[in-house]
Amino acid sequence: MERALKKRTAGVADRLKNSNFAQAWLILVLALIFGVALAAVQANLSGVIAANKLNETLERVPELVWGTATAARMASQNASVDITPGTVTIKKDLKTSYYNLFRVTHEGKLAGWVVKAGGQGYADKIELIIGLDPGADTITGLFVLQQKETPGLGNKITFPRWRNQFIRKKTSTPLVVTKGKSQVPNGIDAVTGATISSRSVTGIVNRTIRDVKGRLTPATIRFYERQL
Amino acid sequence: MTNLPTPFERFIQGILPENPVYRQLLGLCPTLAVTNGLKPALTMAVAVGAVLLSANIIISLIRNLLKPHLRIVVFTLTIATFVTIVDRLLAAYLYQMSKALGPYIPLIIVNCIIICRCEVCASRQNVLAASADAVGQAIGFGLALTGIAAIREILGTGMIAGVQLLPTAWPSWVIMVLPPGAFLTFGLLLALVNWIDSVRSNNEGRKG
Amino acid sequence: MDYIFDIFLISISAALINNFVLYYFVGICPFIGVSRRVDMALGMGSAVTFVMTIAVFLSWTITTLVLMPGAPVSRWVAGHFMSAEKAAGIDLTILTYIIYIFSIASSVQFVEMYVRKFYPPLYKSFGVFLPLITTNCAILFACLTVMSNIIGGENPIEAWDLGRALALGLFGGAGFTIAIVIMAGIREELDLCDIPAPFKGAAITLIVGGILAMAFMGFNGVDSGLKAALTGAP
Repeated sequence: MERALKKRTAGVADRLKNSNFAQAWLILVLALIFGVALAAVQANLSGVIAANKLNETLERVPELVWGTATAARMASQNASVDITPGTVTIKKDLKTSYYNLFRVTHEGKLAGWVVKAGGQGYADKIELIIGLDPGADTITGLFVLQQKETPGLGNKITFPRWRNQFIRKKTSTPLVVTKGKSQVPNGIDAVTGATISSRSVTGIVNRTIRDVKGRLTPATIRFYERQL
Repeated sequence: MTNLPTPFERFIQGILPENPVYRQLLGLCPTLAVTNGLKPALTMAVAVGAVLLSANIIISLIRNLLKPHLRIVVFTLTIATFVTIVDRLLAAYLYQMSKALGPYIPLIIVNCIIICRCEVCASRQNVLAASADAVGQAIGFGLALTGIAAIREILGTGMIAGVQLLPTAWPSWVIMVLPPGAFLTFGLLLALVNWIDSVRSNNEGRKG
Repeated sequence: MDYIFDIFLISISAALINNFVLYYFVGICPFIGVSRRVDMALGMGSAVTFVMTIAVFLSWTITTLVLMPGAPVSRWVAGHFMSAEKAAGIDLTILTYIIYIFSIASSVQFVEMYVRKFYPPLYKSFGVFLPLITTNCAILFACLTVMSNIIGGENPIEAWDLGRALALGLFGGAGFTIAIVIMAGIREELDLCDIPAPFKGAAITLIVGGILAMAFMGFNGVDSGLKAALTGAP
């Protein structure tokens, strides 16, 4: 009787020792250590990463509003430029879309707007930022943030020589894409061999201006504090 | 007690004889995906090397505590943690490169090279051997990646790491930087490596 | 109607235009190693599709409920320990990769148990492949794509819902199956050809894969055209 009881308690002790929980102690300890390490990484780096993401757009804003030369001159003079991020909501045909934009002021005066836009390109999504003058009557700049068009053909939309066609174009009429030198004031030359990519970018610009024009007032834009 | 390779042997084996890409055919996803330029290829090689070294060292330190049926869980947890750390470091300090590499950095977690080295080497040998193995394999991986990337970038764009190498009159073989170019380049290079190897073993056979 | 078009575009894109194997280079290891017989390839592809759909479901749910910045469940739990507004900013995305890989491993375990219990002959024919699906890049890639469409976007209104995520998982797996079955069929024919010695094995498979990728490049641009046709102006 005593021997049976001893065997049973020994069996229970053995089972406990071999139980999954006991064997998993290593995993639990490792998980704890790694969790602390990851929390430290998150605490230290998340601010840097968020700043990187924002700066990607922010550092382009001056040259989109004033042009590359003037922006460089202003930067060397340490001119004070205020850039306030905001969102404008467009409700059209039961669909709501948001546009993220930046209001650019210099020495207290409104200098222009930079609107973030995106759409479908030939291969994948294209993301742009468009610079507009204070009244949204003229395009002052264009920059392609992200594209996955064909290298050597479609990705020529990122070249300054092609993008600069958009500068000083009026927003009163939509832009049209032409193959070869365009004769009309609102014409854009397509990239040779990449008509669809060129049309996609022009379409995104036209659509954005159509949506945003007339809505760039303090009443319709929700501004928020820049968190840096 | 089987004779396990010395640290120096592990290091040398990793570079060419047991090259992870050309001999073991492991880690092919990044080999094809990020080799459309020299810079992304180098960044990926360094990232994989860092994760491989860290994981090997940690696993080697705790190798006596590993239970047989739970070791894969431990490997996965360690590798996933280090990949997260490397991914965050890249996003913080090399933001453009991190965007270019995109989802291929987290895919290092399922990169067969790292789990394989943990299983074969780190869980059985001491820290020195495991580190030597990791460094050797990483160098081999880097050599393979940069070889393919150099060919694809030069033929595809005439540039290498952004520097114009071939005259601009060169008609860029755009297909080289697109997916089919990856398959074709790697396939031809693999055949080349196989051929060199067979010639060498033929010569050794005739000599001996 | 827009929703159905969106699902349709995501499905076509994942299966054919941006094929996981031939465009994104994920799932290459089984593509080169396994595909030698069409019926085996079909079985492997179906297993991967099944696991991918389950894994995508798990990752969407966990990301939306626990991991994303300001997720409901974490916010509720954190609200017991800190003020409500600090709890609203809780961001657990640093744990994403670890949670994803373990949920994939659990999905594979679950599928393995299910197949072993209800389809024993199928289980025997799979052999060692089922556990290997855990290290298949394609499944983790599908989960990461879903995550980037939930968290990475500019506008929270464009975050993917469960339907879009499942469409990606299901048709991404279908695209993988298509690629691997075509490859198996070609390799069956290649076995009868006279291939030079250096090319035998992986090298010729890669070259054939390259030609196959070239063929699939013909689908490039179809999704933007479809989108224009279905929704009017792009």
